[in-house]
Amino acid sequence: MINIFLLLVDIGTMYGIFLILASSMELEYGELGIPNFGKVMFFAAGAFTVGAIAVRIGTWLAGITWEGEFKTKSILYSTMVSRYFASHPLQAIAVFLLTLAIAAVFGAILGIVASYPAIRLREDYLAITLIAAGELFRIFGRNYDPLIGGTMGVGVPDVLAWLPPGTKEAGYILLSLSFAAATWLMLYRLSTSPFGRTLRAIRDEELAASTLGKDIVKYRMKVLALGSAMAAVAGVIYAYYMGSVLADDFNPLKTFLVVLMVVLGGSGNPFGTLVGVAVYIFLDRTLAILKHYIVLPFDINYAAMLLFGIILLLVLMYRPEGIVPERPLLTVKAKFCKGDGEKPERRLCK
Amino acid sequence: MVDVNILLDALVYSNMLALLSLSLTLTIMTLKVANFAHGDLAIVGVYGAYTLMVVMGVATYLTLPVAFLFGGVYALLCYVLIYSPMRRRGASFVMLMIASMAIDIATRSLIQIYADLMKFHLKVYSRAFIFNDVMLNILGVEVRGIVVFSTLSVAVLLSLLYILLMKTKFGIAMRAAIENPPLAEVLGINVERVYAISWFLAGGFAGVAGFFLPFRIPTSPDLGFIILLPIFAASILGGINSLPGAVIGGYVVGISEILGTYLLSQPPINMSTAYRPAIPFAILILTLLLLPRGIASIWSRGD
Repeated sequence: MINIFLLLVDIGTMYGIFLILASSMELEYGELGIPNFGKVMFFAAGAFTVGAIAVRIGTWLAGITWEGEFKTKSILYSTMVSRYFASHPLQAIAVFLLTLAIAAVFGAILGIVASYPAIRLREDYLAITLIAAGELFRIFGRNYDPLIGGTMGVGVPDVLAWLPPGTKEAGYILLSLSFAAATWLMLYRLSTSPFGRTLRAIRDEELAASTLGKDIVKYRMKVLALGSAMAAVAGVIYAYYMGSVLADDFNPLKTFLVVLMVVLGGSGNPFGTLVGVAVYIFLDRTLAILKHYIVLPFDINYAAMLLFGIILLLVLMYRPEGIVPERPLLTVKAKFCKGDGEKPERRLCK
Repeated sequence: MVDVNILLDALVYSNMLALLSLSLTLTIMTLKVANFAHGDLAIVGVYGAYTLMVVMGVATYLTLPVAFLFGGVYALLCYVLIYSPMRRRGASFVMLMIASMAIDIATRSLIQIYADLMKFHLKVYSRAFIFNDVMLNILGVEVRGIVVFSTLSVAVLLSLLYILLMKTKFGIAMRAAIENPPLAEVLGINVERVYAISWFLAGGFAGVAGFFLPFRIPTSPDLGFIILLPIFAASILGGINSLPGAVIGGYVVGISEILGTYLLSQPPINMSTAYRPAIPFAILILTLLLLPRGIASIWSRGD
C-alpha cells in the first residue's frame, strides 16, 4: 500500500523544486528567448555545493574529527551530523543558509560565464555547448571523489532534524514551497515590469530593442545570472530533501523535463509555468503509481519518457503556445496628453 | 610510441564520425535545424542490422544495407511527420531545435523498449552487445575487417554522394533547393520531395556509421546521445554548411579524440579516460573562438 502522507509530501516538495527550475527556464527562454539547454548544470551546481560543503562544515561544528576517506565515510558522518543538528537548530539553520548563499553565488557566476557564449553564439551552437558543459560537470562530479564522493555519492546532513518527529516532512514541503512561491512571485513581478517588457522586446526583435538604447548584452547577462542562481537554489533544496547527492542524477534528461514543463504550460506566461509543472508532476506520479499495478515486458520508465517526448512533440506541433498562452502585456492605460508646457507629457488623462 | 592498433582504431572511429557529421550537415543545410536526435539515427540503424543478424542468422557484414535502410527510413519519418509539418506552420528555429530534443528522448526510449522486448522474446543480449569481426589477409598482413570495410564504405558513399550532387539532374535540383528554396520552387523543383530524399540519405549515412559502432565498443540505446558531442564538434569545425568541411572535421575530431585520450591517459598525466568528451568539447570551443565559420571558411569566401 502506498503511504498517502509521504506521497503528498513528495508531490509538494518536488512541485516546489521543479517550479523553481521551470521559473528560471521561463525567465530565460519564455521571456528572453534563450533556450538554456544546460539547465541541469546549474541545478547540479547547487546540489554539488551542498554535497561538498554541508557535511564538512557539519562535522567541524559538531567537533567530530574526520577519519578515513571522504568517499566511503560521508554517509556515516552525515548521520552523525544530523544527530547533532537534532539538538542544535541554530547551527542547522546557519549551515543551510550558508550553503544556500554559496550555491546561489556559484550559480550566478556560472551563469555569467555561460552568458559569454550565449551573447555571441547561434542558438544551436549555444545548446550543444551548454549540454556538453553540463555533461562534463557531471563526469567531473562522478570521477573526482573528494568533491561529492564520486560514484558512491555523498551524504547530506538533515538540516531539519531538530523539528519534532512527524513534522519534518511537512517542514520540507514548507521549505520547498515557500522558496518556490518567492521565486515565482519574483518571476511574475519581473515579467510584468518594464524589465520584463524589455526582455520580450529583445526576444521578439533584437535589432529594434537595441535601436531603442537597450543594452542587449547586459540584459542577457543579468537574466542568465539570475536564472542560474535560481536553478542552484533548486539544487540546494533538492539535495537537502533527498539527503544525498549522486552525480549521475544530474543528467540532461532533467533539462528536457524542465523544457517540457515550460513549453507545455505556455512559454512567455508565468501562469503557464505553474500549470506546466503541475501537469508534469501529476503525470509522473500517476505513472509511478501505475507501475505497481501493471506488468509489462519492458521497463515502464521508458514508456513514461516516450510519452513525455510525444507530448512535447504534439504540443509543439498543434499548440505551440501551450496550455496557458502568452497574453498581451499588462500596462496602465495611458494616453499622451498635452502638458502644461509645450512638450507632450506622458501621464494619465481624466 | 603510439601503437598501430590505436591508429587503426582512430581511423575506424573517424570514418564513423565523418559519415555522421556529413549527414548532420546535410540535414542542417536542408531544414536549418540542429538535429539533436542525429546520433540516435545511428543506433536505430545498428539495432535494425543486429535484429536481422539474430533472427535470420545473416552474416554480419551483409546486414550493412539494412542499417542504411533503417536509419534512412527513420530519418524520413521524422522529417515527414514532424519537421516538415512544423515548418509549414511557421515554427521558429528554436522550436524545431526543441522538437529535435523531444525526438531524441522519444527515440531513445523507443530503442530502450525495443531492447527490453528483444531480450524478452529473442533471449539475446540487447544491450552492450558487440559484433564479431573477421580478419582479412591483405598482402600478408592480418587486418581487422572493420578497418577495411569502414574505410571502403566511406569512400564508396562519398563518391556516390559526389556523383549524385554534381553529375545528376536530381543533384542539381537538390543544390538549388538548398541554396534558394523559393527560386527552386518557381523553377518547378519539388523542394519538399528533394528535402525528404536528403533526409533519407542523411539517415542512411548515419545508419551505416552506427553499424560500425559495435565493432569498437559495446553498443547500448543511449550511445546515440553520447556520440552527439563529437558529431556536432566535427560538423561545426567543418563550417556547419559545408559537406567536404564536415568530412574533414570528422577526421580531425576523431583522430584527436582517440589519440588525445590515449596520450593524456599515459604517464605523466594519467588522466581518467572518463574525461574523454573534454577533447571534442575543447575543439568545439576553440573553433567557435578562433574559426567561427569553420574549416570551410579557409577555401570559400563567405556570403
